[in-house]
Amino acid sequence: MLWIAIHLPLLSLESWAATLPFALQAPLALMNAQRVLSVNAAAQALGVRPGLKRATALALAPDLLLGRIDEARDAQALLRVAHAALAFTPMVSIGPHPAHTVLLEVQSSLRCFGGEAALLQRLRAAVTRPPLHRLHIASAPTPQGAALLAHWASRGCADGPVPDAPADIETLDWHGASPGRWRQRLDAAPLALLAAAAGHEAALQGMGLHTLGALRRLPRAGLARRFGEALLDEIDRILGVCPDPRLPLALPEVFSAQLELWTRADTTDQILPAAAVLLEQLVAWARARQGRVGRFALSLRHEGRRTRGDLAREAPCATELAISLTQPSSDMAHLHALLREHLSRLQLPAPTLELRLHCADWVASAPPNESLFPTPRSESEGLVHLIERLQARLGPGQVRRLVAAADHRPECASRSLPAQAALGRAEAAIGRGALHGAPTAPRPVWLLNPPQALREHRHRPWLDGQPLQLLCGPERIETGWWDGLPAERDYFIARQGSGALVWVYRLRHARIPEGVAGEAAPGWFLQGRFG
Amino acid sequence: LKEKWLAQNTVYKYSIPVDIASAFSSPTHGRPGAPVRPVALLPGSLPLPGAQAAWKAAHAVQLHPGLWLGHQLGRLADHTVPTGFAALDAELPGGGWPCRGLTEFLLPQLGLGEIRLLAPGLVATQQAGRLVMLFDPPAELSAPALAQLGLDVPELLLIQTRAPGLASSASANHQNSLWALEQALKSGHVGAVLAWLPPLLRTEHLRRLQLAAQAHDGPAFVLRPWCGQEAGIHTHPTPAPLRLGLRPVGARAMADPGAAPFPSAPGAEQLSLHLLKRRGPPRLQPLVLKLPSVLAPTHARAPGPAMDGEALPALRPATFVNLA
Repeated sequence: MLWIAIHLPLLSLESWAATLPFALQAPLALMNAQRVLSVNAAAQALGVRPGLKRATALALAPDLLLGRIDEARDAQALLRVAHAALAFTPMVSIGPHPAHTVLLEVQSSLRCFGGEAALLQRLRAAVTRPPLHRLHIASAPTPQGAALLAHWASRGCADGPVPDAPADIETLDWHGASPGRWRQRLDAAPLALLAAAAGHEAALQGMGLHTLGALRRLPRAGLARRFGEALLDEIDRILGVCPDPRLPLALPEVFSAQLELWTRADTTDQILPAAAVLLEQLVAWARARQGRVGRFALSLRHEGRRTRGDLAREAPCATELAISLTQPSSDMAHLHALLREHLSRLQLPAPTLELRLHCADWVASAPPNESLFPTPRSESEGLVHLIERLQARLGPGQVRRLVAAADHRPECASRSLPAQAALGRAEAAIGRGALHGAPTAPRPVWLLNPPQALREHRHRPWLDGQPLQLLCGPERIETGWWDGLPAERDYFIARQGSGALVWVYRLRHARIPEGVAGEAAPGWFLQGRFG
Repeated sequence: LKEKWLAQNTVYKYSIPVDIASAFSSPTHGRPGAPVRPVALLPGSLPLPGAQAAWKAAHAVQLHPGLWLGHQLGRLADHTVPTGFAALDAELPGGGWPCRGLTEFLLPQLGLGEIRLLAPGLVATQQAGRLVMLFDPPAELSAPALAQLGLDVPELLLIQTRAPGLASSASANHQNSLWALEQALKSGHVGAVLAWLPPLLRTEHLRRLQLAAQAHDGPAFVLRPWCGQEAGIHTHPTPAPLRLGLRPVGARAMADPGAAPFPSAPGAEQLSLHLLKRRGPPRLQPLVLKLPSVLAPTHARAPGPAMDGEALPALRPATFVNLA
């Protein structure tokens, strides 16, 4: 058994900071019951320390941003880390003590990932995706022992200067699989780290006990009588004397997470960072399920509006933003881009207080193989992503395809339909089939809809004050008597004064189609231009 | 005389001095100041200073693919797509529409033959299995007409970025157009792009598109109006490496409206191309191309009693009995 413990000492601060709609340069402090719980580097530089009172902290740094601790937010952020860790082993559990710790049993995965060092490196890369977390990783043969070592590393780090470079954190972490070394290491651990020692600090101090090793050398019966069975039990579990079964983390079938915004968001730009945090959790969940997201919904809960003259607030309303993907994806960058474009088109009816991300529509499939060189498959996937991005910003009806129809009337022979990102083969075949029966006579590329009525002078059509020179024709089109839009026309190719070729027709019966503006009974119409 | 001609025509587009150019060449082929053996290099040339300059010039262009002499056409390091018109290929650097760069067209009006000019290049792109995207076509497109030009119509993608209901202000419409075009160019998954740009575009926006087009492995055509407020646009500098102005070959003045209704039409199928900017010497005379014919012989007026010179007045509605 080899357990790896990941301890995130600043999880609360980081999960809060990730939802803020601005850069992290501002000094931040997280409060718990009027006391500073943790601070970021900018606040620390101003002299704000954990444990200060709220007024003291604000006196030291007037522009300090204060956040409230939120258990639910922390639990979701920890769950994201646990989901990311599920890529390495099915045995992942979240320990009750110490808090903010994820435990992994990796003995059976070591060979797959090429040894402990390689696995740790990949684990660190997988967990430290944005939002960035400071983390301490320790490994030991028992889960409680690994958790204790990781916690100890964080404690040492918190007391000393804040390490900024990852290398500093690395040296504080401790990994040891050989039994002698990790027991030696644990013997030196301070007793304050034990959960069962809480409340007995003064007694232990008075007895001159500071480390786990000192406690272990004392007679067990006396210890049990003075401090209770819980302390002995915890020490036994740390050292592996008694079994310590853990329940593996179970993944929910449906992803649902919510997040309360730090401040009321008036624009969608302010929502985006918090939505990205939720999306990151969704992607971690989807990857752990080995699935890809087909459709997800972001619902925004708005503040109830106070109507004029009526003091009672309206019931808070919610906006639901459903985003469907043409091809299921678990690519964070793509999902984020889609969400951003959809959010940018959204008009908020009222300031937003809370976000909820829900995903029930996912497909289980192996992730696609990564390829070194571009392949047709990767190109078509990239195209689908591009079309989805364009549709997200411009609207689904703005990306269109031309479909030919078997009709002799030029205005009916082609239609443009909103494009599905992947065109159905049947649809394309019908379009191509219609083209096979298309007339062989030349057709203009550009069609004017509706046709432009032309002035007739001395039996000749005039366009832009110049007579048209008829070059070719007539081609008679007489069809459509069955569907109410009959066409009885003689088409000519004509040449404009500037030299460009146009397609004009003359009504065989002077019946003006509806929607054509012009003089009475003109007879001549311009319908196309040869592009 | 020869010396004078060479001195006048050896123009370096990039300011690399000749001494550097000769310093890069191999030592057996001479150093600056060393006696040159021109017999092996330029057969038939004379051991004169003029010949030396010509030799240096010939070697300077081998230094870098982006370097060419003023009287030559530029060579493009990237491949090009043949235009389908041999006369045009001969005038374009690299022998076709450039990939990884914008090609700018200036159009005085819609429907000059621009699609017929571009169709062979687009067909070649589609036959290579790549997508063709049309951004903001200014009018409705006819599927049968495009199919007649050889295009695979169901595989064309039309992007409308300037729909009236989409955004209220014109600047937002501009932004959408430019954003969508840039996304397509940057994605690297689109074969060819054909975009009708919004009028009155700033040069910075076009430069940004040109930078995006450098990631796009295929031709990128942008079409801009050349009339009205933008009539003088061809004098403005452009970041696109190739710029062509299109004009129809003018019709004869039709002085007599009562003349024969189907006269012979010289120049009706032709397009006059002004090569306004290219990597190479300026071409002052427009290039006149013969476009694929729309006046097909089967549909052109055939001489006969029914379609005689007097046929057109006979087509007046009054001569028909309307039973409807």
